[in-house]
Order: sequence, then C-alpha cells, then structure tokens
Amino acid sequence: MSIDEKVAKSISVIREAIEKTGVENMSIAITGGKDSTTNLWLFKNACEEMGVRLPVCMFIDEGDVFDEISEFVEHMKRLWSLKIEVIKNRDVSSKAGGIGDIVQVASLNETNKAAIAEMGFSGADFEFIPDSTVCNHLMKTVPMREFIVKNGIKVLSTAIRWDEQSARKKEEYFSPRENPEHTRLHPILHFSERDIWIAIFKYDIPYNKLYRTGYRSLGARCATGKASDVPAWMQDLEHTPERVGRGQDKEKVMEQLRTLGYM
Amino acid sequence: MAKKAVIIGIDGVPCSLLKAYMDQRIMPGLREIVAEGNLMPMRSTLPEVSSVAWTSFMTGEPPAEHSIFGFMEIDKNSYQYVFPNFTSIKSPLFWEGLNVPTIAFNIPQTYPARPMNGVMVSGFVAPDLTKAAYPQRVYDYLKAMDYRLDVNSRLAAEDPDAFFKDLFQTFEKRTEAIRHLFTSEDWRIFIAVITETDRLHHFFFDSAFEGRYHEVFADFYNRLDSLLRELFLRSKKDGAVFFTCSDHGFTNITTEVYVNRLLMEKGLLDLPSGATNLTGIGAGSTAFCLDPSRVYMHLKGKYSRGSVSPEDYEKTRNQVKDVFESLAYNGRKVVKKVFLKEEIFSGPYSQDAPDLYVMGEPGFDLKSSVGKNSVFGLSAFRGAHTYEDAHFLASGCTIPEDNISIENVAGLVLRSISED
Repeated sequence: MSIDEKVAKSISVIREAIEKTGVENMSIAITGGKDSTTNLWLFKNACEEMGVRLPVCMFIDEGDVFDEISEFVEHMKRLWSLKIEVIKNRDVSSKAGGIGDIVQVASLNETNKAAIAEMGFSGADFEFIPDSTVCNHLMKTVPMREFIVKNGIKVLSTAIRWDEQSARKKEEYFSPRENPEHTRLHPILHFSERDIWIAIFKYDIPYNKLYRTGYRSLGARCATGKASDVPAWMQDLEHTPERVGRGQDKEKVMEQLRTLGYM
Repeated sequence: MAKKAVIIGIDGVPCSLLKAYMDQRIMPGLREIVAEGNLMPMRSTLPEVSSVAWTSFMTGEPPAEHSIFGFMEIDKNSYQYVFPNFTSIKSPLFWEGLNVPTIAFNIPQTYPARPMNGVMVSGFVAPDLTKAAYPQRVYDYLKAMDYRLDVNSRLAAEDPDAFFKDLFQTFEKRTEAIRHLFTSEDWRIFIAVITETDRLHHFFFDSAFEGRYHEVFADFYNRLDSLLRELFLRSKKDGAVFFTCSDHGFTNITTEVYVNRLLMEKGLLDLPSGATNLTGIGAGSTAFCLDPSRVYMHLKGKYSRGSVSPEDYEKTRNQVKDVFESLAYNGRKVVKKVFLKEEIFSGPYSQDAPDLYVMGEPGFDLKSSVGKNSVFGLSAFRGAHTYEDAHFLASGCTIPEDNISIENVAGLVLRSISED
C-alpha cells in the first residue's frame, strides 16, 4: 500500500467508528509523540470530511513529563483548537516529592489500593518511578479507567502499530475491552515506524523537536534516553529496535557483553 | 490440550559432556531420566550464539524470520552499536498462540519483561531487575530473596575462587526461584533456563574432563543433576512431559581469531589506530565483522560511508571469502566453512543477515574484536561455542526424529502436549 492508501484506510476505520458511536462518546489518547499526533491528524481529516468536531483528547501525565512534550501539546491545542483533558493520578503523585521517593500503599485511596491488589503486588510501599510496572498501572491505567467512566466514553482511540512488537501483531482495528467496558480503536495498526515519518513529512504533520535531537521513542523523562545523536527519521528504523533508547540500559548491556568476550 | 510441559534449558551444555558425566557417575539423576526418555545431539542456529539460538527456541523460527542475528547490530549511519532486546523479536513465541499460563524464566533475549499469560523473568542480557519481571508479585519475591540475574563473570579472570563462589550462589538463587515458581504459580508450560553453565564453560572448559578445576565441574554438575532429577519426578507426578535442551555446545580453545584485525591486515577494513568500535570506519573499507563472525560487505547506499558498489558485490564478496578460506594457523586450516548469506538465511529479514558467515574448525574461536594487535591470541577464555553437539532430552513422549536443530524444539514440545 502507498502512504496515501494507508492514510485512506485509517480514515475509513475512523469514519466507521464515528458513524457507529458519534464523536461525543469518543476520545483520542495523545502523548505528544509521533504516533498519537499522526493518529490525531487522521481524526482531524476524517472529522472535517464528515463535518463533525474532533472528539475530546485524553493526555496522561504519568508523573515525569518532558517540558518539550508539555510545550508541544500546548502548541497542538492552539493550532488545532483541541479540547484536551489532562489526567493524572494525583492521589499517588502527591505522596511522592520526587522521582524515586517511597510511597506507602496504606496512604492511598481505595481505588488505588484495589488497583495495586489486582496486580498481585503485596508490598507495603513502592518507589515512585514513572514507567516502572507499578507506576505504569497506577499512573496510566487507573486514571484512564476513571476518565472513561466519568465521561461515558464508548470508544477510546490509541496509536499502536503492528510492527512495534510481536505481541501487538494480534491487535485489531476495533478491540473490545472490559473494566470498564469500552472499545479501543486502533486506526494506524498498519503503519510501520517508517510510514509515520513518511506521513509526517508528506502531509506536514507537526512533530516534537525531541525527535530531531536523536530521541526515537518518547516515554517518561526519567526513563527515556537518546537512541543516537541523529534525528529519529534518519536512524536505522528497519533494523534497530524502536525502544532501545528508553532507559539507561545501553551502557550496562555493553559492559556485560564485553565481560563475556563480545565486541 | 492433554498435558503440561516442563522444559529446562541448560545454556551451553554439550550432549557429549552429559554422556561422559553419566558414565562417570557425576550425573546419576540424568541416567534415570534418560532411561525413560531419549537424549540426542542437536544443532544450534547460525550464528551459534545464545541470543539467536534461544530466540529460535522460543519462536520455532530461524534468524531470518525472527530477526535476531546476534547480540548487537550497528546503526548504518553512525556505526554505533545497537542492542536488540525482547521487543525486537519479530515472530510470536510458541506459547502465545495457546494462551495457557506459561512460566518463562531466565530465557536469554527476554529483557525487558512484558505482561503475558503467566510469569516472565528476563534472561541475559538483563541490566535492571525492576524491568526484568512480570507480574509485580514475582518482582517483589525476587527482590526479597536477593535473586541474581547473572553470575559476576568479571571475577573469573581476577579471582577464580571468588568466581566459583559466586557461581554456586547464583545457581542456588536460581534453583530457589525455580522451585518457588514451580510450586506456587499456576502453569501449563514451565520453561526455566540455567545460564551458570555457559559462564563456567567460557572461562574454565579446559577443566571439564580433567585438570585444575575439574572438582568444580563435578560439584556443580552434581548439584544441577539433583535439581533436574527433582523437577523430573515432580513433572512425572504432575503428568507433565519433561525436556531439557541447550542452545549450543562447547569445546576447548586452541586460539582466538580476531576477524576485524584480519580484515585490517588484508587491507579490507580501515579503522583509526586505538579504535574500540566501528564508529571511525573509513569510507574505503570493504567489509567489517560483528560477533561472532558475521561479515558484512560495506555497501554503498546501505551504509552511510559504504563504498562497495552493487555491481562489484559478488566479486568483492568472493575475495573476502578467499581470505578466510586460505587462513592458516601453524599450518592448520582455521576455517571450516564460509557460508554465503543466501545459503543459510532465508526469510523476511534476510536482508539484515551478514553477507558471509564464517565457521571455524573446532578449537578456533572467532570473534569480531576491534582493537587487537594480531590475528591470533588468547585471553581469559578457555571454551568456545559449537554449532553441533548441543543436546535435546525428551521424557514422557516419543521423539522419532533425529538430526534436529533448536528451531525444531518448539514444534516438538507443542506436539507432545497435544497428544493424548
């Protein structure tokens, strides 16, 4: 498929969702990253074609957002007149002064305690490290559930792609979920990482300046490292893993390999 | 699905070593298991390194399908090393399609851990325990019992006694964690890999059958034997089929062979003096090597400084092949076979495969090694991987095949648990 055909396919998936559900009961998850911004741009095109307003955007503040991401999201809000709800698990974040601080499970509200129990976590406390397993669940999943219930969201769109990892290969455009019951809409499954950059440059879709400086994938600030010094779209997308810059693992990996005689 | 399956991976354990140890009564438990089953030699992958072989084990596919060709690759613009991780694997894992609770413990190339139906504890290379376990309760357990992700191999060259102490302690933690997961978690498929054996073999394989540290081998393998016997008996009680396998074999080292140094001496690779990696590669370079002996032609259009034109590819590649085929050490032929890419790699990711893959004669340990002063040399290592002589053991089911490779294991396991 050419990039135009891939775009057309995504737009037809989005149109189908809007026709079935209506924009008032939909939401688009945005992160300031290249994939969700492209997904948002596709929604914008579909909505303009159909003469409806854009669904509300949901932005999760997971506790350590890059300044550049906050600025970029503000910029997009003005540029495209977006309605954005920023959601944050303040019950958890207010208990930690900084990254790495200890949070006592007993000090959290019932919803958060239940979420912790549901993970099978039995400790009395945990470190506030965004992008770690416990924090991901509390800072992302919990507020997202509340947002869906509070706003009566029937369809939530995210920007996952099949080529991100083998576990994603089974995802479908429309994916029913529980707890709470809703449908996930994945319009850009068929886009590769390279396709996203092709679309960004062909259709002049805005992108975060962090990608220009070498970041290839953007997570929480404390958990994201630069993959390279070269702009993301000039890196070897097809043959190097997308998330390899996230976390400070690279140096440790090299050291362990060297000890066993490699390199 | 009729049965449960238990697969204990033992990294780098040759079939021939197990047979010798059974004969020497170092592994009486294994004798019992083999008496009720089938032990056979097995081929590894090409390249015969753990990240590639265990990924083929997990996916049932060859490298050109799952896309893992080694522990590292290079960025084609900057020539910096890039390290594929668990997210890089392009094929599904053999247990994912079944969607039954599965324990995947310490399998190399599974870092970072991600949610699955069951439990995952990441294996080599796993730099950070907080990202090496799913679900959270397993991380908490491992942290509380002071689990060790790997042996401290730095000790081997400096202080063998300290290394052996660390080896046994790491193995003890490994054993404890395996027992805990085996008994306290719900599972249909239980996979656990022991990696201590590979570490011991890398640095001390010359003591495997006789010599200064042979007692350490006997002691370690005796303890391993107890664990295998215990898990085998529990499996039998549970009605589970029981397997063990390794990812490659091991053999003694005659000499190491530093491939990038050889390419430099033959005028095929241009690196600045004092180079420790490939980032300074000169535009005139014809070829370079990534571990263990993957040779890539420095193609124009593929690499930012590449100069080999597509029209010259075949001719130039054959020149490089000749360099390896004619290499001799004290009058002995060093290279057993030079494979061309298309001879051994076929699949959607074959364009990422090396243009040449060099297999040494037994005893010649090929390494990429930038920054060596000579083609041949020795370092702290006393054991090298082998493609042949890995092992596969099956008990509780019939395996009529022989001449299998590690890519076949997934299919054999799945078949065995669906039989009634």
